[in-house]
Amino acid sequence: MSATTTPMPIKPLALQKGDHGPQATIGPITRTDIVRYAGAGGDFNPIHHDEEFARAAGMPSVFSHGLLSAGLLAQHLARWVGLAHVRSFAVRFTGQVWPGDMLVLAGRVARVEESGGERLAHLELTVTRQTGDVAVKGKAVTVAR
Amino acid sequence: MTDTFPIGTELDEFPLPVESSKVREFAIALLDDDPIYQDVGAARAAGFDDIPAPLTFAAASSHFRHDLLMFERLDMDLRRVLHGESSWEYLTPVTVGERLLARRRLADVAMRPGKRGGDMTLYTFETEFVNDRGDTVLRQRDVVIETGGAK
Repeated sequence: MSATTTPMPIKPLALQKGDHGPQATIGPITRTDIVRYAGAGGDFNPIHHDEEFARAAGMPSVFSHGLLSAGLLAQHLARWVGLAHVRSFAVRFTGQVWPGDMLVLAGRVARVEESGGERLAHLELTVTRQTGDVAVKGKAVTVAR
Repeated sequence: MTDTFPIGTELDEFPLPVESSKVREFAIALLDDDPIYQDVGAARAAGFDDIPAPLTFAAASSHFRHDLLMFERLDMDLRRVLHGESSWEYLTPVTVGERLLARRRLADVAMRPGKRGGDMTLYTFETEFVNDRGDTVLRQRDVVIETGGAK
């Protein structure tokens, strides 16, 4: 599966306060997705891949790494504004992502400011589950024109 | 809670080699098959000097650092540890072929009343990634929460 439809912008975008970025829907998240991220990222906490361990810890099943959801959001951000223009990216983990979840990745421009001769756009980003629960709240600063 | 390690203590250092197969694997694990993460020609056509590291690639340094050891040193109970926040500040683009050195320090420790009783402890870690030329290319901050419970 891929959400790559258009190439990432090479030049900074003309972003204005209130602009919405593209939305992408990803999923359903599978146990295979979770295991693949464990291997790529190097996080082998068994709560993310060992069903018996997760249940013994009081969870209904294994669940996704926060950094998998954060990474999906980061890739979405890079596709929107261009990887090279991103100055910072921050995430807060506000809920878990479970196998079977459909995730909506979205973002909007909260404000734009001039700083040191360049325009910097402050973005607010979210990863939202099919239930409406927000699993990740993100913020980013990107160069705009 | 740690009394042994004052704020600012350097905790550990570890390498982060930025290699093409790892970058490809990492991007695919984030369900992104954009050729810029796989093919140097596509990366150059998109304006990069070489294949770029994805924005959260520093997470792959898990393969080179020893979090369990660090949690033990700080006397943290792994069963009560949650990842609360992460952030990255990008100073210079990171591309394939670089070998970064990361230094992690304890930036803050704070106590807060927990939602389910007991105090929770918030540990803030700051990791600085430096390239071969000695330039800091990336700063990462993580807030790790130890929820309240009897020790």
